[in-house]
Formats: sequence, structure tokens, C-alpha cells
Amino acid sequence: MRYLLGRAAHALFLVVGVSILTFLFTTLAPGNYFDEMRMNPQIAPETVAALRAQYQIDRPLPVRYASWLNSVVHGQMGYSFAYNSPVAPILLMRARNTLLLAITATLLAWGIALPLGIWSAERLGRLPDRLVSWATAALLVIPDLALALGFLVIAVRTGWFPVGGMSSLDFDSLTLSGKFRDLALHMVLPVAALVLSALPLLIRHVRAAVAEVLDAPFLLAARGHGIPRRVLVYRYALRAAANPLISLFGFSIGTLLSGSLLVEVVMSWPGLGPLLLESILARDLYVVIGGVLLSTLFLVTGNFIADILLYWADPRIRRESTAA
Amino acid sequence: MRSRRALVKWLVILGVLHAIIVCAGFFAPYDPIEQDRKNPYLPPMQLHLLDAGGHFHLRPFAYGLKLREETFDQYEQDTGQTIPLKFFQSGAVYRLLGFFHSRIHLFGADGARVCLLGTDAYGRDQLSRLLYGGRISLLAGILGAGCSLFIGLCVGAAAGYFGGWRDAALMRAAELFLALPWLYLLFALRAFLPLSVSPLKAFFLIVAVIGVVGWARPARLVRGVVLSAKERDFVRAARGFGAPDGYLLRRHILPETSSVLLTQAAILTPQYVLAEMTLSFLGLGVPEPVPSWGNLLSNLQQYSVLVSYWWMYLPALAMVPFFVGYLGLASSLQEWLEPYKIERRSPGSLA
Amino acid sequence: MKTEASIGGQACRPILKVERLEKRYTRQSLSGTREELVALRGIEFSILPGTTLAVVGESGSGKSTLALCLACLEQPTSGRIWFEGRDISQLAESGRREIRPQIQLVFQDPANSLNPRWDVLEILSEPFVLQKRTTIKGMKQRAVSLLERVGLSSGIVARLPQELSGGQRQRLAIARALALEPKLLILDEALSALDCSVQAQIANLLMDLQDSLGMTYLFVTHDLAMAAHLADEIAVMNCGRIVERGPAEEVLRVPKHESTRELLAAVPRIPRTPNSVTG
Repeated sequence: MRYLLGRAAHALFLVVGVSILTFLFTTLAPGNYFDEMRMNPQIAPETVAALRAQYQIDRPLPVRYASWLNSVVHGQMGYSFAYNSPVAPILLMRARNTLLLAITATLLAWGIALPLGIWSAERLGRLPDRLVSWATAALLVIPDLALALGFLVIAVRTGWFPVGGMSSLDFDSLTLSGKFRDLALHMVLPVAALVLSALPLLIRHVRAAVAEVLDAPFLLAARGHGIPRRVLVYRYALRAAANPLISLFGFSIGTLLSGSLLVEVVMSWPGLGPLLLESILARDLYVVIGGVLLSTLFLVTGNFIADILLYWADPRIRRESTAA
Repeated sequence: MRSRRALVKWLVILGVLHAIIVCAGFFAPYDPIEQDRKNPYLPPMQLHLLDAGGHFHLRPFAYGLKLREETFDQYEQDTGQTIPLKFFQSGAVYRLLGFFHSRIHLFGADGARVCLLGTDAYGRDQLSRLLYGGRISLLAGILGAGCSLFIGLCVGAAAGYFGGWRDAALMRAAELFLALPWLYLLFALRAFLPLSVSPLKAFFLIVAVIGVVGWARPARLVRGVVLSAKERDFVRAARGFGAPDGYLLRRHILPETSSVLLTQAAILTPQYVLAEMTLSFLGLGVPEPVPSWGNLLSNLQQYSVLVSYWWMYLPALAMVPFFVGYLGLASSLQEWLEPYKIERRSPGSLA
Repeated sequence: MKTEASIGGQACRPILKVERLEKRYTRQSLSGTREELVALRGIEFSILPGTTLAVVGESGSGKSTLALCLACLEQPTSGRIWFEGRDISQLAESGRREIRPQIQLVFQDPANSLNPRWDVLEILSEPFVLQKRTTIKGMKQRAVSLLERVGLSSGIVARLPQELSGGQRQRLAIARALALEPKLLILDEALSALDCSVQAQIANLLMDLQDSLGMTYLFVTHDLAMAAHLADEIAVMNCGRIVERGPAEEVLRVPKHESTRELLAAVPRIPRTPNSVTG
């Protein structure tokens, strides 16, 4: 239990640390949103000055950070200059879309990689395994950008799938099942791009971890006891390989989140990615900080879930923390 | 030794690929910046050996392109106009290896232009842009990887060797960097720096940003190696002879990190080339008119281009042979350096 | 066998004297608790120059920690170490660096104590290079003379450690330890990793060197039989303490402490049956 509390504290430290770092980054930015405004002759200088005072742009950095932190605690995340509205609602809606994509892709990717990796590891070195290795190598060498763009080109040429976006123009007039279908159709390509870019590494690592375990003497002994194959693999081997697999899971969340950034921008999926890009270019400070922080939060949460899974799966960790 | 032969094979393959890019001037038929506004978005020209009449030509040739009737941007082959390919053609001036001026290109044609990969919105030859663009992207990747590895080496060695609070502080910093999805960090870093700068400045800016983003993982790996090397008895023995810290690091401990650094170099370089491509694709990288694999693709963000001009996608695949080469190199390096482990991989390593 | 009494007037002052030596390691585990490991408690002994002291004990008794502390490679938590009359236990790093060449350590596993990427010449030259006592030309000569001293041929100068046999490697390690002409040589299980016959050869080599160079040895070992063969005095360690100490013959014949008895009992004895040899 103490182990989990320790990991939770660690996660909190990471999120806070990143928030400070991001705030610091903003001092690097030459120019901010208001400089653009100042150059616009239609806006009176007094208005600009008033807005600046309102957003406390001229206060020193630690003060700004403290007041931002204060507002976060109260559920606010600052104000977006470009959208002229509080940051939180914008972020949360986009975050929901990103999560939809990322979680679906994670489940699908692991749903394929785990069985395939195990199947491959059982037949290590033989033809089926070699085929899988070749296929993953072929996928691995295609850059993520090429995959995403490639799918877009396919969508355009075949017309089977919508070309980007999350919903069709007539979305609101569809029935419930129609809406589901529309959403699913829009999701196919982005999810496929994400899954295919993450799959090769996942399969390889699963295969490696399981192969190493299958080689272990204790498994040979279990086989000698006559334990059937399926139980052997799923109860014994997987348990033993849990450690590297679970840390792989944590790592895969990071790559999937990064990947989703690119896929969202390329396929115009209204998630955190495009939002982040525009707000960075517009120097819309609080949106950027909120967006970066949110993505970090997802990553850290994902890793924390991995830590929990590890705690549950690996008795050594439980023992170490209770003994301490 | 089988693993050594595999390593040499991959080094040769990569060497050849890089040589082609380095000598882009020779292999590219035209200047990458040269525009031809009368011929935007030409499709790739196909090479033939047999002409429409069934005659066999020894010299490959292409047909000229003419506009299809009642379209303004669809072309078809004009069998009336044959353009034979000439080799070692004299063409635009370029600088071989940055020093010698030369005019000789691998191939070209008299009169009309032969654009094997089509042209872009300004009529620039895509093949030439591809080859020149490779220089920027590959160099950015290699330099960026070098940067990351250098920072990672310094930090990891300091953390592992000195231990204590320095180690804890540095590793916490590394975790902070790893806590952010790397593309988010890359964007944030790049975009918070000045956006419209000269291509040269942009290039170095990108290299610096990419290098700074990725130091954490190599640092951890180096730290691991240094921690175990520190406990080796030959290090203790050297201390027994009066060796100071600098000597121990330089002569005993850091050489142990060489295998980690080499493998990481092979793994990181393609990832960093991809990072440059992504940045340039989104307009945060190398600006026009300097070509890079990324900004060659940026007009694919327009729907019209996607629909009508499919060949603009081809530069996306330019990276593939390099990825294959680097993947093979990393794999054979790991085999050669640590052959006794069956399948020792940690997340973050390719192969 | 030399003992304190029999040496007589010549060198009565011990070359090494240890008083109430303690070494603790503290470790902070993930959950925040501090764990303390006491490796050495209240160690006291002294060694006369030109003699051999064997420190015997099982794994985990703290012998290697003792070796490291005496060689100035670890800082003791408390207590004193006197080397040739000087207190070396609480020196600063620079002072310790000065002392280290005079007390050399030979490690157990030459595969670990010789840098696998260096050849024999580099390995042997390292002490001189570090002490700035050589020229490029002089290096090879010194290396060859060291090799000869330990009975290795000068032809191996360009070889890598993995190209040598276990016995050759350990001789090389000893040669390297002798390079700076130390007064005290600490051998930390230096013979344990070798085959029996090789052990005997190296042991004899060490004895010869002691006679010719007047070296003082501190032998750390778990092998009581080895200690019996080589040592003038034996100290038995258990859980970080010295539980018994005395002249070798006395300790072996009349063991007072239980640990000593256990160690003695562990030595395999081949019963003498004269009839089985002939018939």
C-alpha cells in the first residue's frame, strides 16, 4: 500500500514539475498574444493595457504561477485569449476526443499485440514467427507521418471513409445508431493509423518478454507436471512476464499520446493536438500550458495505472513494500 | 563471425544510401529551387524502352505531357513527343561535397524536362527536391542524435559516478522530461522559440530542440552502465594507484559506455529524422524554399492536392530505405556487441 | 612460522595497527525508512612487518569490507587505522591518495580486476603512469621486469587478459600490485578463483616474494586450509567481529570460538590408510 502511495506522490510531483517547466518555457517566447494586438490599429492601446492588467501579464513569473495554481485548484485553468473564454471547457472537450482515440487505439493495439506476440513467442524461430517478424519489420520502417498521410490518400481515392474530421455535416440530424455509425466511420482511419504505428514495437517487445519467460526452467518443470498449454501460457508465463509487459504498457501510452498528436493534426480530428498547435502559434499562453499539462496528466495517470497493475500482478513488489 | 558480416553489410547499405544523398547534386537532374510556373503539378513521367509503334530503343525515353482535353490540370502522355534520356548530362551548377563546382548530372534531357516524380505547385522537380531534401532531414537527424547522446552522456556519467543528491536531482529531471509525450514537448519547445527565422538558423534551432528533448533516455542508460562500471575491481585497482576521478571516468568508465552509445545512435537517428520531418511538415521546421522531406509533404494538408495530385505523397516513403538500413544496423550492432543475450530489449529500443 | 615473540629486536613495531574499527552502510529504501548495515564492529589487530596475517571467515562476515577500508578505498565510520605509525583512517581524499600506493590490494577475480579492453603492457604501466614515474620507453622495461618477477614470460606483453589463463591473469594482477613496491599487500580471496594446482603455484610465488622483498601480507580468505599453509597469524571473523585471534598453530590446534571450530570442521580431511596405498 505504501508503494502505491509513493507512486501517487511521484506522479503528483511529475505533474507539478511539468507545470513549472511549461510556465518557464513561456518566458522563452519572444512576443505574446498582446504584442500582436498592439500592432493592430483597430484596437485602442488602452484596451490592450486593460486586458494585459486583467490577465496579469506584467506581474513577475512566480506570482503568475501562484495565481494560476490557485485557479486550477478552484477548477479554472486560466483564460484563452484567442477563444475569449475560459480554458477549461475548451480543453476538456478536446481532451475527450483525444482520449476517445487514444484509448480505443491502446485497447486495439494491445488486443492484437498480446495474442500475436505470445503466439509468435511460442513458435520462436519457426516460419510463423519469422513471418510475423517480417511483417512487423515492414511496418516499423514506415514513418508515422507516411502512415497517416497514406491513409488520408486512401480515403480520398476510394471514398470508403470520410476524409478527416470527427463528424459529418449532417451529424445532428442522424438517429442514435446513425450517430454511432458516423462516429465509428470517422474513427476508423485515425485509429488504424495509430494502431499500425504502435503495433510493430509492441509485438516485438511482447514476443521478446514472453520468449524469455518461456525459456525459464520453472516453466519446463510445470510442463513436466502435465499442465495444459493454455493454462501454462496464460497463467504461468504471462504472470512471470508481467513486469516488463506492464512497463511496456506504460511506455506505449506515451508513444500513443504523441502519435495521436500527429494523427489528429493530419486527419483534422478535433483533439488536443490541433488545439495545441494553433494556440502555440498564436501564443495563447494558458491554453498551451493547459494542453501540455493535460497530456502529461494522461501519461502520468497511464503510468500510475501500470504501477497499480504491477502491484497487483507481482507479489515481490507487494512483499517489498510491506516489509519496509 | 556472422554478426560482424551482418554489421558490415548494413554499414555498406547505409553508406551507399547516404552517399547518394550527399552527392544529391549529381544524382538530381535539376536544381531544387528552379521553378517552372508554366508546368505546375505535372504527374510523374514514365520511362519506356518500347515506343508506341513497337520499336525498341536502347536509350530509355519519356513521353512529353500534354493537357487532357477539357481539363486544366490533368495530363496524359503525348506519344508524339519523345524525350530521350541522356546520361552524364551537363545541367545546372552545383557544388559537389560543398567544394567543387560541377555541372555534370547523372541524367537529364535536352529541351524538355524529365520529371520522374512529377512537379509541385511551382513546377519544381520533385525528384531533385527529394534528393536535396534528404540532406537536410538526415543531417538534422544525425546531428540531433549526436546532441542528445552528448547531453545524455554527460548527465548520465555525472549522475552515475557522483551519486548522492546529484544523481537524485538529475534523474528527477530526466523523469520530468520523460513524463511529457515527446512530440508535445518538441512542439512546445520549438514553437516557443522565434518562428520565422532564416533557413540556416531554423535548421540549427531544430537540431538543438530535438537534441534537448531526447536526452533523458540515453542519460538513464549511460547512468546504468556507469553505476555498474564504477563497482568493477579494475576501477578500484586504479583508485588504489592514486587515480583521480577524471582519469577513472576517461580511461575506464566511459569506454564501457561505447556500446550503449553506438546502439542508441543507430536507434535515435531515424526517430530524429522523423521528428524533423514532422516539424517541417507542420511549418515549424525548415522553411521554404529550402526543401526537406517534411516540407515537401506540407501541401498535402490541402484537400485539393490530396484528391488530384497523388504523387506529392511519394516523398513520405523516401525515408523507408533509410529506416530499413538503420533498423538493420541497430539490430546487427546489438548482436555484435552483446551476442550472449537471447532477446534483451527494453522499451525505447528498436529491433 | 614467525610470531610476535620470535622476531626479536628487529622490527617490533607493527606495520599496521587497527583500533576499534567500525564500518556502517546506511541505505534509504523507497518507502523512506533508513536501513543500516553494520559491516565491521570493533575490529582490533596488528601486523608485524614481514609476516602474514590471515583473516578467515564465511561470506558476509565483513572480510572484504575490511580489506577495502585498510586499502583506503573505503572510509571507516569510526575507529583508527595506523600504518607505519601514521593515522590513515580519517585522512582527506588527497591524503588517502598518497597512502594508497603503499598498501596494495589484489582482488579475487582477475576477470573483474583487469580491464578487458587493455593489453598487458597498458595494465602493468598504469600504476607508473598514474604516479607519473615513467617515460614511454621505460614502460616496456618495467613491465617486463615485473612479469619476470612473477614468473610470466615477456612475450605476453601485447596480449589481452582474456587470452591468458586464470593462473596467468592472477599472476598479472599480483605483478601489477607490486609495481609501486607496496609495503603491505592485501590479498582479498586472491586464490579462491583458481584451480587447486594453480593455487599452490601462486601461493609459493607469494611466499618467495615475501622472502625476497620482505613484504607483509594480509590474507583474506574463507579457506582455513589455505590460511594454515600461508599465515603466521590467523584472525577469525564472524558477523563483522574478530572472534578469535592468535598465532596460526595455536588457533588451528586449540580453537576457542565456535566459528573457528565450524570452519575447521568444514575442511575436508582425507583419512590416512597406509594399507590402501600399497594393497
